[in-house]
Amino acid sequence: MLSFLLIVLASLFFTGIIIRTKSITSGRKGPGIFQPMKDVIRLFKKGAVYSKTTSIIFQVAPSIYFASIIMAICIIPFGQYKGFISFEGDFVFFAYVLGAGKFFSIISALDTGSSFEGMGASREALFSMFAEPAFFILMGSLALLTGHTSFHEIFASLHFGSYISYILGVLATFVFVMIALVENSRMPFDDPNTHLELTMVHEVMILDNSGFDLGMILYGSYLKFAMYGAIIANLFIGIAPLYLAIPIFICTQFLFAITIGLLESFTARFRMNHNAQYILALSSVSLLIFLGVLLMLGQLN
Amino acid sequence: MSDSILLSLSLLILLAGMISIPFLPHFTRAKAHLIFVILVAVITSVPAIKALTGNVPDIIISHAALFGTVSIHIDSLSAWFMLIINLTCINGALYGIGYMKPYDEQKANLSMHWILFLLFQSSMLWVCMMQNGLAFLIVWELMSISSFLLVIFDHKNKTTLTAGINYFVQMHIGVLFLVAAFIWVYFSEGSLEFPAIGTFFSHHQNLWLFIIFFVGFGIKAGFIPLHSWLPQAHPAAPSHISGVMSGVIVKLGIYGILRVVFLLRQDYTIIGEIIIILSVLTGVFGILNAAVHRDFKKMLAYCTIENIGIIGIGIGIGLIGIGRANSLMTILGFTGALLHTLNHSLFKSLLFFSAGSVYQQTHTRDMEKLGGLIHTMPKTAILFLVGALAIGGLPPFNGFVSEFVIYSGILLGINGSGPIAQTTLMIFSFAGLALVGGVSMLAFTKCFGTIFLGQPRTHLHQLPVEVKRSMLLPQYFILVVMLSIGLFPQFYFSIAHQIVLSLVPATSLATLPIPNSFLNSIAATGQFSIVFLLLMTLIFYIRKRVSLQRNIVTGPTWGCGYIAPTARIQYTGKSFSKSLGKLFNFIVLEKKKYREIAGDDIFPVKRKHSSHYKDLFVIKIFNTIVDRLLFSMNYFKFIQNGKIQTYILYGIFFIVIVFLGTIFKFI
Repeated sequence: MLSFLLIVLASLFFTGIIIRTKSITSGRKGPGIFQPMKDVIRLFKKGAVYSKTTSIIFQVAPSIYFASIIMAICIIPFGQYKGFISFEGDFVFFAYVLGAGKFFSIISALDTGSSFEGMGASREALFSMFAEPAFFILMGSLALLTGHTSFHEIFASLHFGSYISYILGVLATFVFVMIALVENSRMPFDDPNTHLELTMVHEVMILDNSGFDLGMILYGSYLKFAMYGAIIANLFIGIAPLYLAIPIFICTQFLFAITIGLLESFTARFRMNHNAQYILALSSVSLLIFLGVLLMLGQLN
Repeated sequence: MSDSILLSLSLLILLAGMISIPFLPHFTRAKAHLIFVILVAVITSVPAIKALTGNVPDIIISHAALFGTVSIHIDSLSAWFMLIINLTCINGALYGIGYMKPYDEQKANLSMHWILFLLFQSSMLWVCMMQNGLAFLIVWELMSISSFLLVIFDHKNKTTLTAGINYFVQMHIGVLFLVAAFIWVYFSEGSLEFPAIGTFFSHHQNLWLFIIFFVGFGIKAGFIPLHSWLPQAHPAAPSHISGVMSGVIVKLGIYGILRVVFLLRQDYTIIGEIIIILSVLTGVFGILNAAVHRDFKKMLAYCTIENIGIIGIGIGIGLIGIGRANSLMTILGFTGALLHTLNHSLFKSLLFFSAGSVYQQTHTRDMEKLGGLIHTMPKTAILFLVGALAIGGLPPFNGFVSEFVIYSGILLGINGSGPIAQTTLMIFSFAGLALVGGVSMLAFTKCFGTIFLGQPRTHLHQLPVEVKRSMLLPQYFILVVMLSIGLFPQFYFSIAHQIVLSLVPATSLATLPIPNSFLNSIAATGQFSIVFLLLMTLIFYIRKRVSLQRNIVTGPTWGCGYIAPTARIQYTGKSFSKSLGKLFNFIVLEKKKYREIAGDDIFPVKRKHSSHYKDLFVIKIFNTIVDRLLFSMNYFKFIQNGKIQTYILYGIFFIVIVFLGTIFKFI
């Protein structure tokens, strides 16, 4: 309950902070922090244009995509407080519910029969496929470390004691940040601001969406950001009491957003045909975490 | 009625059906065959359901002239597979009637087809019941032959015939291994009964005999590198046959493996590890190939291989669980495997049926020639979509349930303080399963998107229309069963759980009950899938209400300013999976055929470029071996030179050798 509210709250200003960071670093005045939300609200009020090629899939896909994100957020705990949904192995459910949403967003791009949108869909499918093993190895290692298999129990019993565990925390944060960037199609994997359809991934998939649907897709991606921010925050909250946990949460989200803003200001997008390898390399970082966990448990003797 | 009477009745019905169908008027044959299939299914399901509820039918035919004592024994494992067979066969028979309609003028061929289908169903059922090696092999052989004849329905087509013969030969290589295994047991124990295998295992090393059995059954199941018949036979067969074959016949390989697994007495861990490694590789290999192929039935065949891999992971987890005396892991592994067997038989037959409907309407299996079919065949499109979602293991459908159980088993394996090698193995299978899930999303978005979405890529001479209701009906039925598994998994889980409990050797199962938390999480996946469905509907409803008040316009797809788009500029399936194929080019081999432009080609002429993907194992291993074999056999060609005189000479040589041999007591 608490986590759900906090994530929704964070999602309201998350993208705003990214854009603000980018405008500050590039010396522009830039829009206010709530501009992205204002855009979404404006889109909710707008009418829509549908392509004649599209079918029912195109109509239902944004709703399913949005529903999948809401379901995924319900699973995220907040420190010692459970999310709406919590059971053993819930992170598998988390990954697969998000997968269901992604499935629909991909086929809705294919539904338009456009040459560009198919390209974006193909890339999205490929990149998120490679991000999957990294997530599962990471969660498997955390499960091995804590002996639990649900988000809530893993995070509640995750406490940092030795040096190795700090390294693990840093690595896990790195992996989650990268997964968040892949899943939200941000730099350095995808450039949302590129002007050329050929070089886009996510943006090109939603070229034909408009009005309420587009609003849902955009807000969905803000929520997704805040959701990954919450997961990262959970790595550090542990069983901290509320008066500590909430500031930690807010700080983490804030730092996460600023990091993304800085990344987008100072890096260039990876070469598209090497993207898959970069993402696959995440799995090896996850494996490093697994190795660290084995070290901590003293199994490597 | 007693079980033996029921079973004899089912045999009588089979005979009655096989004899009567040719004598019936042509237009009633298909319906008659459906009635016979249903009758056999109902009658054999009675003892199967009995077995599931606890009283195991046990029939012993003693002093049969040929076999000695033959025991027919329906335990819960047989019952589970028999019910799956019956379910899939009824659906297949019903779908088949509509599917075979266009072949109505081939009267004799068609009536043979219906007869063989009956035989096929019964032989599969008897495979599950027979507990005697020899009798088992005979019905196993009947099953292979009848399915082979069903595959080559379109026998005038050369590729069909080649695929069929390939299947036939490979099945017999499998039988060879099975025969060897049974003979080994017979010489050691003096009995062909299945329990004798158990006694063999109790005082011999388990690994080697198991491997022979595994190869024999693995050819049927399609573990790599024994899979190469699948992608050939499935596209060649009529779609309802592919559905039933992929749904059930492949599973009988799994049945055989499980049967032997439950008789093992030692070496659990090593066998489990071998199975897991092989299964993860099978899964990844299968799905990578599925992602790149453009023939959609071939793609589904490769996807079957992938799912066999997932089932195999379950079996491996279960075995390692026995080895570690971790009862929960054992139960989760085997239960996951059994559930996935059921689930796969459901969604794979659904996919083959809906793909068959597409083939019937468009007469092509090449997805690049299709497109936009959702507008002309909306029901088929939605059914295919549901199958695709389910096979990707996405909630709220049934694929997620069994994958979740297997994932939980792996997680237990990771946490269960096993040796480090096993933990690492488990992490890799965890990641492997996730990768398989990811690639299967790519494969099925590609397949669904290319066939059903966008615009038609080529002009079809006959405009496709929605198929008849009799073909849709079995698919709706499968859909309902799938949803029931996805939304109320605890019911199916408890059945499969009971089966595993009754089969696993009692000594290795500690009496620990399944912790409630796990049962809760199985139930939770169902509940939250319902919530997910409701949430989707709610959001869609809100969107609908809101957009009613808004201004909705339709227009062309955004073409980035290009004003003359054609259907040909749509993204193709090939390009959709091209980057994946390129990354994994050491597994999926792309063969291109084209002529380089030479220096003296001044004027442009028509050129051809073709590219298709080849199976790694067929190209690198089988073809090489066969080529070498043919090459060396070449040296012995002189023996068979076609001259009758030399052949007579061979006969004389032989007789002389035998004669001398007896005189000098060599023989």
